[in-house]
Parts: sequence; structure tokens; C-alpha cells
Amino acid sequence: MNARARLWGVVAIVLAVIWAFPVYWIGNSAFQPVEALRSPNPSFLPDFSASGFGRVFDDSFVDSLKLSLTVTLLAIVAAVLCGFVAAVAISRFRFRGRRSFIFTVLAIQMIPPEALFISQYKMLNDWGLLNSVVGLGLLYSALILPFTVWMLRGFVDGIPIDLEEAAMTDGCSRTRAFFTITFPLLAPGLVASSVYGFLQAWNEYTLAVVVMDPSNRTLPLWLKGLTDVSNEAVDWPAVMAGATLVATPVIILFMIVQNRMTSGMVGGAVKG
Amino acid sequence: MKLTKIAAATAASALALTALAACGGSSDGDKAEGGSDTVTLWLAGKEDTPKKVEDWLVKEFAAQHKGKNLKVQHIDWGELIPRLNTALQSDKTPDVVEVGNTQAATFTSVGAFTDLTDKLDQLGDNIGPKSFVEAGTYDGKVSAVPYYWGSRYIFYSKKAFKDAGIEVPTTLAGFNDAATKLKAEGGDKYSGFWLPGQDWRNGISWIFANGGDIAKQEDGTWVATLSSPESIKGLTELQGLYEKATTAPKDGKDAEPWTAYNNGEAAMFMAPSWARWSVDKKKAADLGGFALPGTEGGAAPVFAGGSNLGISAKSKNQDLSFDLLKLIYSDEFQQQLAKNGLGPANDKYTGLMGDDEFAKAAVAAASNSKLTPASPEWASVESASIMEEFFGKIASGEDVTKAAKATDDKLNAALNK
Amino acid sequence: MSSTRLRRKAGPYALLVPAILVLVVGMAYPLGRQLMLSFHEFGRAQQFGQPAPWVGLDNYRELVTDRTMWTVIARSLAFCFVNASITMVLGTLVAVLMKRVATAPRLILQISMLLAWAMPVIAAMTAWQWLFDTRYGLVNWSLRKVGFASFDGHNWLIDPLSFFFVASVIIIWMSVPFVAFTAYAALTQVSEETLEASHLDGATAIQRFRHIVYPTIKPVLTIVALLQIVWDLRVFAQINFLQNVGGTPSETHLLGTYIYSLGIGQNDYGSASAMAMFVLVLTLVLTVRYVWSLLKEEPR
Repeated sequence: MNARARLWGVVAIVLAVIWAFPVYWIGNSAFQPVEALRSPNPSFLPDFSASGFGRVFDDSFVDSLKLSLTVTLLAIVAAVLCGFVAAVAISRFRFRGRRSFIFTVLAIQMIPPEALFISQYKMLNDWGLLNSVVGLGLLYSALILPFTVWMLRGFVDGIPIDLEEAAMTDGCSRTRAFFTITFPLLAPGLVASSVYGFLQAWNEYTLAVVVMDPSNRTLPLWLKGLTDVSNEAVDWPAVMAGATLVATPVIILFMIVQNRMTSGMVGGAVKG
Repeated sequence: MKLTKIAAATAASALALTALAACGGSSDGDKAEGGSDTVTLWLAGKEDTPKKVEDWLVKEFAAQHKGKNLKVQHIDWGELIPRLNTALQSDKTPDVVEVGNTQAATFTSVGAFTDLTDKLDQLGDNIGPKSFVEAGTYDGKVSAVPYYWGSRYIFYSKKAFKDAGIEVPTTLAGFNDAATKLKAEGGDKYSGFWLPGQDWRNGISWIFANGGDIAKQEDGTWVATLSSPESIKGLTELQGLYEKATTAPKDGKDAEPWTAYNNGEAAMFMAPSWARWSVDKKKAADLGGFALPGTEGGAAPVFAGGSNLGISAKSKNQDLSFDLLKLIYSDEFQQQLAKNGLGPANDKYTGLMGDDEFAKAAVAAASNSKLTPASPEWASVESASIMEEFFGKIASGEDVTKAAKATDDKLNAALNK
Repeated sequence: MSSTRLRRKAGPYALLVPAILVLVVGMAYPLGRQLMLSFHEFGRAQQFGQPAPWVGLDNYRELVTDRTMWTVIARSLAFCFVNASITMVLGTLVAVLMKRVATAPRLILQISMLLAWAMPVIAAMTAWQWLFDTRYGLVNWSLRKVGFASFDGHNWLIDPLSFFFVASVIIIWMSVPFVAFTAYAALTQVSEETLEASHLDGATAIQRFRHIVYPTIKPVLTIVALLQIVWDLRVFAQINFLQNVGGTPSETHLLGTYIYSLGIGQNDYGSASAMAMFVLVLTLVLTVRYVWSLLKEEPR
């Protein structure tokens, strides 16, 4: 038994190495002199004296960072707020049209986003919202809302209604009971779904190309721009450094809330 | 004469400005009725237009137009078409845009650019190259004017040539032999001529040199001619090179051809003139350049690179935008382009590109350069990567005639949509 | 009961309003416009102001009679099937593994999976592009080192099958963590006492899995499988990125990139819209069983 457990431990470590390797490779490549990435023999260890970070950390990065943060936060706040109340509705109430709404939430995820952005562009143009944080934020919040509803609904389901009902028998109104008892318990769920939304909006690429001005680049576009040079050599260590910079905030956020995220999803599904 | 024109332009825009101020009333924001104080110029690529030259343009424009300024935005080549497709018809259109010469027809054919036919003579008498003016013309109307041109020629290592005991070739057959010989001497990992499989912009020269073409227009329809006997001859030569002269990846494109050269893995590569500055400083002394020779000597027709400029038809700053074009066509700007190795639209200044072997190669190559079919649908061919796929197949050793016929069918369908 | 009382109330509807509003503005309205577009001829000329003629079902007819579309659909289905199944199986196995090993290896495995999951697509693709690079790629280098000399300068993207192999490796790498984490979280909900009891009753490991573990995690696996199918069917960024690096786009299009190439590439927005509608219907048909089984669990 013990030997077998150890064997499984080894398998786990091997898998861990395989999965982490490409990520390690980005970091490693960021710390290489430019020539090293084009040498016939790869170097497996970072060379901290030569990093691409200095070359990418400039004003355009800071501008993109600001833009990405603003758009992403706007999208998350809108999606989580709307998603939260909708989740409460489908979890705590029984009403006509409830199943249709749930069906819609599921079905919306099946719309191929590449198909929508021409009309999304025209729509924003009609409303004068092109190249605006509000316009892009609106589209992003619609993009992440369905999954947010689904996830938050799992969290709300996970909190026994008995707690609320107990408070209500003590004389609280339903709304009051919800906000004093259930809401605090939901905080982890709100954080988790925000992080999920963050990941989606932070990484989105196609819409950002079409809707925003070329001088307003979100981080993925900024990163893509680093490789799109026509008359000079691509500075790959710098690109990898850029990739590291873009990925780091997401990874940190994920590390913090990962457990809660998945348990929220499961909570909803297991309770049924 | 030019100075008076500039003065006149300044006066005219000053007048326009007063007129605006007069009728604008309360418009103290940057959006007055007839336009804004800022003219936006979209340039393709990060620094395809050198920074110095761009700075001069911005400063000079502001100096000539009181209270107005020029904002330059850089668009990556890869994003250019999708962005133009949407931006040119929106309310936030840029005023003046650069497009690749082969992409111009896509926009001129739908009236996305302002018709400049009547104003052309205000830009100068020597607008060229002619093929670029044609690329910007649709239905007899010129709406995109040449910006700059570049031509592709061969860069080579003098040492490699000396070691192998070969001279700079003077015919295409001589070139093919030289490339093969260099590879044979250099070994398995060495390219006599760096030629990535999907690099059709360079590979097409072999079709052109043998008298072939991509497509020709017959009674208003495009007929693809990749499987014409001339084209097939060129393609067969090319396939020989892929097989015997190069180690470049079969799915490689035309990005960074100098990398292999810098690494000492190739004796020759073909690229537009500005590639010279990307060659390792340590190897600069060893670098030479010549125009790809034709079948009968002289320079082979190569694919002309370069750009056109158009004014967005939706721009609210039509006059200011045209002023900007005039400034770009001014002697001073044209001279700066030439000095930086970019072919100027005004051929008076071609001489300023220098008289070393590189400049000579560039001018010689340009003398005989060709463009892609001037069909408005050509951009679709490019975005569908039809040519990349075709050359990749030739590089992978597929039957030339079969691949050419199949691609002709695709082109006929795409170009005559 | 309170629920019957609430049924008559407008309360729940009011709570849905904000979400519905956002979805209508951001998705439904553009989708409606797109649907209209699919009945029109809408190319570049129309985009620049020409009137768009109504063509009825012509766009659809053209697609249906074009063999390309059926090839793309078949290819996408195969790709989706292979990737979704491998991802589900691998993900579940990893989850079971996480449950079995000691804390230290589990944490290491979880952290490394997390890294892969959180990696922005563009950043990850940049790394993978380098790993599979023809000349300087680590994959070719390693294969050569272990004795496969023919991988010197081997091209991974030019042959469509090999292209999809690379794409699958990347997509599975990116998707397994999500499945693994979710399945792991579900596994932690399986009651230990019941397992213990059945073990004492002499049930084999397989029997225990089938009768106790599987029923508990089934709802989770259903929704995860549903999402996986949807995501793998409309995969876009990874394929598009690889097509730009090398490869043969016309032989490697999947539904997402095909729509994109029709619309943005060839400016044929009418056909692109029609194709998009097709994909939407196709996805619904493919997933209707899952969606139905999920909805069935819902109280009315």
C-alpha cells in the first residue's frame, strides 16, 4: 500500500512537471540573451544578467495595463452584480420562465463569438461607443455573464435556505434575512466568479482589436504587437518577458481563490 | 515653387480656420462642425516609416497649421485590413491611412478613399512608380497615391562566394547554380540561398523572370496563369532550389530572413532593402547586395513592396488631410525618405538613396518590379493565404503542374467574386 | 408554503432584469442583427454604404452546396470529439490521482495545473510556438537527442494531421486543469463513510466507483463535458495562432476560423453570418441531451 502510494506520488510529480514546463519555458526564455533563443542548443537555466523585462516595461505597457484593468474591472462589476441578482432569483424563487432562463444562459455560451463582432461593432458605432472603455466593458460583461450566473447560482444553492428561514421566524424580512445571513456567506463565491470573469476579460483578444483604437491596446494586443514587427528581428526574450508580465496577475489571483471557484461550480451541480 | 505652394496651403488652411471659427460659434471643444483640430494618420508597421522622418512630419505640420496638429498612430501589418475594414466606415475614421500597395484596390473599389484625380497635379509632376499609381486607381479614378516603394534584392556573404570560388551571377540560371553549389559546399545544415517554403513574395520572382504571372485580365474577368508554361518553368526552377539550395522551413514565411544569415547558416537571402540594417554589425563588412538577375541577364522582375496613401472618404478634415499629403510629397519629406532607403514617390530623389552596391541593387530591382493583380479581391487572396499554401506545396515537393492548376482554380474563384 | 406565495410576486422577474438587459444588449441584439445579415448579400461594398440586397436563403444554399463547409464541420466534430474525450478522461484521472496521493505531491500537481490554467492564451501560444519551432524548437531538439535523427528540422505544422496533433496537445494542456479541479472538488463531496462501509461489505474498487463515486460526481461531469464540447467545437484563438505561424489554413480550418475567414478574410459577412447560425444550431443539436439532462434536474 505504501509503495503504491509512493508510486502514485511519483506519477503526480511527473504530471506536474509536464504541465508546468511550458510556463517555466516562458519564464526561462525571458531571462536569456537574444541570441540564446536562436541557438541550435537550448539553455535550460535562466541567465539573470540578461532579461527582456527592461525592454518591454515601458509607457506602452503601463498604458495597456491601465486600460486592461479598467475594462476588466468594469466588466466584472457589471457581470457580477447582474449575475448575482439573477442567481438569487433562479436559486431562491420558483417562477414561470425560470427554466427558460436557465436554458438561455446555457445556450448563450454556444454562440460563436467570432460571428458576433461585426454586428457588435456596428452597434457600438451607432451608439457612439467605439473605442470607449464603456463599450468594450459592456461587451465583455455580456460575454462573462452567463457563466457568472451559473457559478453564483451554485454558491447560492450551497447555502441552506433554513438559515434564512430561521432568521425570518425571528422577525426579519426576507430581504433583511438574505443580506444579514446569506450574503456574507456568499462573499467567497462573489470573489471566485469575479476571478473567473477577470480571466475571460483579461485574455480577450478579437473584440479588442475591432472595437478599440490602435493606440488603445489591451494587454493581449500589446503582447501580440511585440511579435508583429516587419523590418527588424523579433526580440523573443522581450516577448516572453511580456508574456510573463501579462500572466502574473492572473496566476496570483487564481492561486488565491482556485479552491472556492471549483467548489462553487460543484456546489451547484451536485445539489442539482 | 514648392515653397510658394506650401505658403499657399498654409494660407488656405488659415482661411479655412477663420471661416470655421466664424461659423463655429461656441465650438471650443476639439470637434467643430467641419472637422477637428487633429488630423489622424495611420502608418503601417512599428517603424516602417523611420521615427526621425515621422517626427519631422508631425513638427512641420503643426508649424504650418496654426492650432492644428497631426497625430500618428501605428497599426501592425497583421491588423491593418480588419481595422481598415471597420474603421474607414465608422464615425471615428482616421483621416489619412497607409495601405500596402496590393491592398489598395480593396478600398479604392468601394469608394472608401476620397477621389484625388483632379488634385493629383498639386502633389507634383513626377508621381510614381506608375505601377503604384495604377494600384491606387479604380474605374479611372485615382484615390490612393504612392507613399514609398522598396524592392527585393539578394544579400550575400562575400566570403562564402570567395570560398566557393564563384562570382556574382549575371543570369538567373547562374544564380540557381551558385545557390546549389554554395549549399553543396556548406553541408547539411547550410543554405546556399535562404528560401522559406511559404515565402511567395520572394519566390514569385522566378515566375515573373520566366515570363509568367499570377493572373491576367481578359474581358473584365481575371484568369489565373500559375499553370501557364512560363509560370511552370519558373516554378520548376524554384522547386529545384527548395530541394537543393535551402534548409529553410517548408512552412516559413518572409519574416526575418536575416536570422539564418546572422547565424552563419545561409550564404544568401532575398529581402527588401531595409533588411540591410538587421544584419549583424559584425557581419556588415562581409555583406554584399545585387539585384536578382533575369533569365537573359539584367534585373529579373521582382515583387515590388511598398505602400499607398489614401484619405478616408468619411474624414471630416478633407482639406487638412490633403495638406498632409502635400507635405508628404514636399521635397524635404521625399528627400528624407530616400536617404533612409525608402523609394520616394517623386523619382527626382531616387538618386539620394545612395550609390553603393545596395542602392544600385535596389534601383535596378525596382526598375523591373511588378505588382499583384489589381483586383479588389486580392486582399481576400492574401488573407486566405492562398499563395502561401501554394508555395508551401511546391517547397514540399508536390507535382508542380497539379498544384498550379489547383491554385489557379482557387484564384479564379477568389478574384472574380 | 412560501414558494407558492412568492410565485405570484414580480420579485424574481425584477431580479432578472439587469442580467437580461446586459445579455440583450451585448448578445441578443447583435445576434438578431447577425441573423438579418445572413439573409442579405453583405460584402465590402455594402459595408462602405451600398444598399444590401435581400437574398433570402441564398447564403445558406451556397454554404450547404459547398463541400468546404461539410469538410469543416466533419473536421471540427472529429477534433471536438477527440479533444473533449481525452480532456475528460485525463482530467478525471488526474482528479482521482489528486485524491489518492499525499498532500505534498498533490499541492505540487495542483499548483502546476493552476499555472497552465491561468496562463493567458496568447502568452501560452507564444511558448508553444517556440517549443514546436522547426529550427530552434525544444521538441525537435529532444527527439533528436533521444535518437530520432529525422526530427532535425522537422516541420510540425505543414501536414494537417500533424498540425491538429500539435493543436490538440496545446488545447488538452490548457483544458485538463479545469476538468481536474472541478472533478476533484466533486470527489471531495463523496461520502467517506459510505465508501468505507461498502469496502467492508466486500465491494471491489470498480464496484465502489460505479455505484458510489460515479453517481455523486456525474452531475458535475455532465456540465463540465457540456462546456468542454462547446469550447472545443468553437475553438478559435489557438487554431488561428498556429495558422499564422505556419501550416495550411485552407486544410486546417475549424468552425471558428472558417467563420472568421469568411467574414474578416473575404468580407463576405452574409455567408459568415449564415455559417454562424449553422454553428449555433449544430452546437445546440450536439448538446441538447446534456442540456436536457441538466434541465430535468431543475425544479420547475
